[in-house]
Amino acid sequence: MPDMSAVMKLLQFTDSTFPVGTFSFSNGLETASFEHIVHDAQTLGEFAEAQALQAAFSDGVAALASYRAALNGNLDGILAADKALMDFKMNDEARQMLSRMGKKLAELAVRLFPESLAGAWLDKIVAGETPGSYPVAQGIAFAAAGISERDLFCSHQYGVVNMVLGAALRCVRVSHYDTQEILFRMSDRISGLYEEVAEMELDDMHAFFPILDILASLHEKGNMRMFMN
Amino acid sequence: MRGVGQGLNLFLMALEEQKHEMTASVPEVDFSHCREMRPYLEEPKAMYVGAPGKHGYLRMGFEIDPRGKCIMRDLERRVPLIVQQELYFDEAMPEMPCVYILSSGGPNIDGDRYQQDIYMKKDSFAWISTGAATKLAEMRYNYSGLVQNITLEDNAYLEFMPEPVYPCRHTRFISDTKIVVAPTATLFYSEIYMGGRKYYGDGELFEYDILSVCCHAERPDGEKLMREKFIIDPKRVSPRLLGVMGQFDVFANVVVLTPPDKAEEIYRKVEPFFDKENKIAVGITHLPNQAGLLFKVLGMEPSPVKAQVREFCSKVRMAIKGVPVPPEFPWR
Repeated sequence: MPDMSAVMKLLQFTDSTFPVGTFSFSNGLETASFEHIVHDAQTLGEFAEAQALQAAFSDGVAALASYRAALNGNLDGILAADKALMDFKMNDEARQMLSRMGKKLAELAVRLFPESLAGAWLDKIVAGETPGSYPVAQGIAFAAAGISERDLFCSHQYGVVNMVLGAALRCVRVSHYDTQEILFRMSDRISGLYEEVAEMELDDMHAFFPILDILASLHEKGNMRMFMN
Repeated sequence: MRGVGQGLNLFLMALEEQKHEMTASVPEVDFSHCREMRPYLEEPKAMYVGAPGKHGYLRMGFEIDPRGKCIMRDLERRVPLIVQQELYFDEAMPEMPCVYILSSGGPNIDGDRYQQDIYMKKDSFAWISTGAATKLAEMRYNYSGLVQNITLEDNAYLEFMPEPVYPCRHTRFISDTKIVVAPTATLFYSEIYMGGRKYYGDGELFEYDILSVCCHAERPDGEKLMREKFIIDPKRVSPRLLGVMGQFDVFANVVVLTPPDKAEEIYRKVEPFFDKENKIAVGITHLPNQAGLLFKVLGMEPSPVKAQVREFCSKVRMAIKGVPVPPEFPWR
């Protein structure tokens, strides 16, 4: 019987209105739409899948490492996950996005879980000693909330895809039906993906998504600013 | 007779010592700790892993000699890797040593291991490439691995621009490139990966088993700067997925480690684009920790992709050395 309190917190932290600013970002979709690379439900589905996989093998690994460190009261482990993830994030705007969202979640976590490591971690962010990435913040908050590691991974993947789909409703010719079908299909592979990511160490992080990288670069040097990335 | 026996003993001892030195100086190249290679650890049925001719080693050291000329001071090599001597053929930088890395073994085959160490002393500069494309042959039991250590002291400059890599059907390849770079030095490090032999038979694009490529950089004091790793396992994630390679067949990745002011100067001069008509795309971004820039190219054939990489190198060289890269030789 799952802990009902933990389920409530899981829903709260995964909700798109959770105040970490997800609505400001499109994860490169704005450029992909402008370049007519994503233009319908089919191409949006592939784009969302690529984003989810990219995040799983990098952000997902860091989130789980941070979660495990937080459960053990290991601040050094949290800092190591933060550093490893940001050294691995090659895209400048992606690093900015993760830092902004990470700091917001850290600030919130300090209020919600004053006894957790969130406070010590936020101090390090403010002092400029750690970048303060969102997946690492998720690891700390979810551990403090008593939410399971598997549920953390689901929430992380849901957040990545929902960010893209939320932006899609504003810049791609797709309907709510299309976006919900894409989201629904995600659940088919989440378990296998988790099993794979759960075994990975920080040094195992990997990503090969050159089209996403180039689209992010076009946004970084371009003038489109409906979204922050 | 006794004298002859002693002489023979001394000779045999010297031979043993030399043999020990030769084997001891070739570092072990082992990627069995990498989880992605675990399915590919069977001993090859032909020559064993580490057999002479399958375990190449190369060490090159560049420095400014007392006359002020930049030379390749150190060179150590083990078959099948071959480097003969530095040449000075770059018309824009005739003072720069240029080196081609060759392999007498042809393609990388099952169980091959290579290590290449490049050391750039203070103020030195060099250009390094390969004599031809690197072919990764079909493999059935094991994998081919490459370790690279590239070190740049203060104000050193290295252009590392090898020819493309061609992964054949069922090949397995892993590389780990460790870069130690002083804050004032500049490294241009490029890699070009073909999807496979496109025109061989019916084509074998993305029919290889796995490519795992890692490049990581740090300062001499150990401060970590960046770590990029890509694993392409076509059976797990289709390279044709939108967001990965999509319709593109060729991928180039260029890491430029350079001081922040130089990075800004180069960044301003590069305009990313996604040309769907001519099927070529270019992107650029800043590396973490103000370490430099990352440049990527996608295309359909090697020549246009190589041209973009070369043009970008010219911008880097212009920012650092004040001269462009000359046009490519027509036979390359």
